Amino acid sequence: MASIGIIANPASGKDIRRLVSHATVIDNNEKINIVERIVLGAQALGVEKVFVMPDSYNMGYRVEDKLNSCNELRCEINVVNMMRFDGMEDTVKAAAYMEKNDDIKCVIILGGDGTNRAAAKSLKDTPIITISTGTNNVYPTMLEGTVAGMAAAAVASGRFDDRKYVTKDKRIEIYKDGDLIDIALIDAVISKDVFIGSKAIWNMDTIEKIIVTRSHPASIGFSSLVGCKKVIYPEDDFGACVDINSGSVRIKAPVAAGVVESVSVSEPVILRLGDEYEFTAKDRGTVALDGEREIEFKKDQKLIFKITREGPYHVDVIKALETAQENNFFTIEN
Amino acid sequence: MKITNEQLKEMYLTMLKIRKFEKSASELFAEGKIPGFVHLYIGEEAVATGACANLREDDYITSTHRGHGHIIAKGGELKYMMAELFGREDGYCKGKGGSMHIADATKGILGANGIVGAGHNIAVGSGLAIQHKKTDQVCVCFFGDASTNQSTFHEALNLASIWKLPVIFVCENNGYGISVSQKRHQAITDVSVRASAYNMPGITVDGNDLFAVYEAVNEAVSRARKGQGPTLIECKTYRWRGHFEGDPVVYRPEGELDAWIKKDPIPRVEKYLLESDVMTEEEMKKINDDVDKMVEEAIEFAEQSPFPSLESALKDVYSDIVEEGRVR
Repeated sequence: MASIGIIANPASGKDIRRLVSHATVIDNNEKINIVERIVLGAQALGVEKVFVMPDSYNMGYRVEDKLNSCNELRCEINVVNMMRFDGMEDTVKAAAYMEKNDDIKCVIILGGDGTNRAAAKSLKDTPIITISTGTNNVYPTMLEGTVAGMAAAAVASGRFDDRKYVTKDKRIEIYKDGDLIDIALIDAVISKDVFIGSKAIWNMDTIEKIIVTRSHPASIGFSSLVGCKKVIYPEDDFGACVDINSGSVRIKAPVAAGVVESVSVSEPVILRLGDEYEFTAKDRGTVALDGEREIEFKKDQKLIFKITREGPYHVDVIKALETAQENNFFTIEN
Repeated sequence: MKITNEQLKEMYLTMLKIRKFEKSASELFAEGKIPGFVHLYIGEEAVATGACANLREDDYITSTHRGHGHIIAKGGELKYMMAELFGREDGYCKGKGGSMHIADATKGILGANGIVGAGHNIAVGSGLAIQHKKTDQVCVCFFGDASTNQSTFHEALNLASIWKLPVIFVCENNGYGISVSQKRHQAITDVSVRASAYNMPGITVDGNDLFAVYEAVNEAVSRARKGQGPTLIECKTYRWRGHFEGDPVVYRPEGELDAWIKKDPIPRVEKYLLESDVMTEEEMKKINDDVDKMVEEAIEFAEQSPFPSLESALKDVYSDIVEEGRVR
């Protein structure tokens, strides 16, 4: 029986970057519309069960009601039975449930980089499809729900060689006193901001260093500061680190939606997989992971940053659908 | 964003003043010393404190029926507030307004308000006045989630946006409109999304995180002072007490309050202050003792203040018309 999971973050697309930049607002009703289309796309191609993370807006139940009311629901929708905390821990927990459930062969994530980072803490082996409903979205992409559902159905069918469309992503691991304390999928930004507060990070004056797994001028967010000097692809077995507000070369980069900043950036230092980059704090500050301040540190605190290929298995939707087509997945047999 | 250690200590002091004032109000109400109704702010201290820490004395706020926290955070004096709660002559409204009508124009406090949703339009009016005066003042309008179902909210946001008024709409989403859960009174979970209908930025922050509120309001105030118009900030929070003192609170699911008490904004700030070496435990204890004393003195002041005289019953109720056609 083909089953998929859906994690739709009700909090994505509403943070302070709507105030300090020109970021899009994605309300929860739009996320419901996307989830509906995922379900319809997936069930049309054989998915029989869909597991949905519970959330404060009851998106799973609302989708079930809406599709039932128009008599279009053919598969079973199961809202995961778990205690809700209405925070990032819900994503981590729901992802852990989906990772453990052997029936779930693919998980679709609706959110931004932060949501995907939270899911990636739990999803080690189950392939993921990511749909952008967040702010600075490097990891997830803008994708039509129907297509995502169809691709998830193809992946969940288990009929194809997934090496053709699934890649293991990189991640940044952050260690304190020898312990892995957190991860990031795209970038870790060391900031002089002394508290976590509204989490998002946008003020260039406060930023000291950026460590990236990938970088490109087309990526919105701080990884573009590296990307405007050097492009690093997801498949490259290295990342990089730069100092900000340092060096004589200034570049322009899209650090937030609608915000192209001029900043001096040092030459990128390449970090190969497994290389350890040690940072010793000169003063109090925070580390932002994938655009959100998460770790507070004190003066003289030591942190180790290491890029590995221990991120999630990421589905290339186009390649997955092409593979499905080549194998007659869409052909109706008489 | 930089916050100095002095600012941090000041904000901590404000949060303690609100918490301890409200706890005392709860006890005094139970003892029958406070007449009328009181709606307490316990649990929501980070919102008023984080928002008002960005304001100058000449900036304005409009408040609600749950207004003690806003008034304290904007500089209201505990003794006059307590005297008003006691219905005494030395209170902010000479003992005739009670908890829900405290105002202090000298500090820009345009009044608590017994009518749900009545503050929105007062805030827009003050914003318009600021714009006409061509100053860089701002007005912070506090209100609850359920008041955003009132037409006044929509009218206010519409006008504020059209006229680019310097108003920061701060929604304290505590999950309930009186006894009705937000799930049952609104078809949305995030009030902030309503901003897009009026072409203004709308964001949601953790209302139990002092720094998140401070930071969001700081940006919104900065926009407003520059003439860039209004902002809607939704602060997710929770009131620990019932809608009013005496409310049996039969409408909350089991465990909900306990879950929110774990997110108590005050220990979160204390943890930060200690871990960041901003304060020592001894300094914290001293501030706590000082605030206890302030509240005790406020109660003593209120108890010693006389009730308003019978002769003054109609005074200050109606305006007195003077010859020039002006009122006084």
